[in-house]
Amino acid sequence: MRRTVFSALALTCTALLASAAPALADSSTPSPVPTRVAEDAASPVPSTGPADEAASPVPSTRPADDAASPVPAERGQVAVRPSGAPDTGVADTSSGTATGGLVGGGAAALLLAGGAATFVVRRRRTHGV
Amino acid sequence: MTPLSRRAFGTAALASVLVGCGGAASEPASAPARRTRGTRQTGDRSADATANPARALGRSAPVRLRIPAIDVDTPVIRLGLERDGTVEVPPITAHDRAGWYRHSPTPGEVGPSVVLGHVHVGEFGDGVFRDLVRLRKGDAIEARRQDGSTARFTVDSVRTVAKADFPADDVYGDVDRPELRLITCGGPKEGQEYRDNVIVFAVLGSTSP
Repeated sequence: MRRTVFSALALTCTALLASAAPALADSSTPSPVPTRVAEDAASPVPSTGPADEAASPVPSTRPADDAASPVPAERGQVAVRPSGAPDTGVADTSSGTATGGLVGGGAAALLLAGGAATFVVRRRRTHGV
Repeated sequence: MTPLSRRAFGTAALASVLVGCGGAASEPASAPARRTRGTRQTGDRSADATANPARALGRSAPVRLRIPAIDVDTPVIRLGLERDGTVEVPPITAHDRAGWYRHSPTPGEVGPSVVLGHVHVGEFGDGVFRDLVRLRKGDAIEARRQDGSTARFTVDSVRTVAKADFPADDVYGDVDRPELRLITCGGPKEGQEYRDNVIVFAVLGSTSP
């Protein structure tokens, strides 16, 4: 009995230490030097340069526009001619229909599963299996 | 059959009915009706309408649009292109607004300035261009611009065309004077969409200041 208690205690302590280790690792020695070293390492210009270049590209919006422009070749008064017809009307059928269907379907599936489980358990009990 | 089994059967039956209803309810959204082709046109587009072409203005985006004949007085937002290359339309909101296609000339510049608006915005009801189809030749349209000037247009013609036969050249093609295109949807509803587009062609009448 006592051995079991000790084993459990040891296991708990090990687990606690293991989980605390990463947190402790962050604040190693509280000497003032390391922060300066870190700053120095971060200060050189190149480190920000490439990062900026990597992050800067404007394309996220531009290419989308360019790719979307179906007639970019000759620029008329309408610089980019859209394709197809504008879709400027949303008829009255309620937009909640799809969501409603989804919720209804989910609830129904849940009920179905519950019903089936109850039925099986009940049958097993009746047959004494 | 014991009462519990019967209850279980009842639950299962109810569930299957519910599943059936759910499926049926979501069906119309996923299966839009197919468009029938065809063009029904009301109004004509005579080349030279009313006006002595007024002085063309420089570029300045529109900020407000007024159409007294159909009680429209709306702010104007800027629209671009969707990823699929179709023109962007104003968002579906309760306070529907018109939108100017920013790759077209601004109202008052030489060329076809394109402004779009909804005829209906789903659950929010009528759109800002609900009565566009009622415009007639000679009706006035005012576009107030960011630089404080106003371009006044006169309706030349109103056309209702099937979306499948959208007259892109007439709408987006080059012209030799300042013109305005107002576009919305119209015609019979097919599923959640309208079959047609209503397009108003207008020419610049005067400007101020």
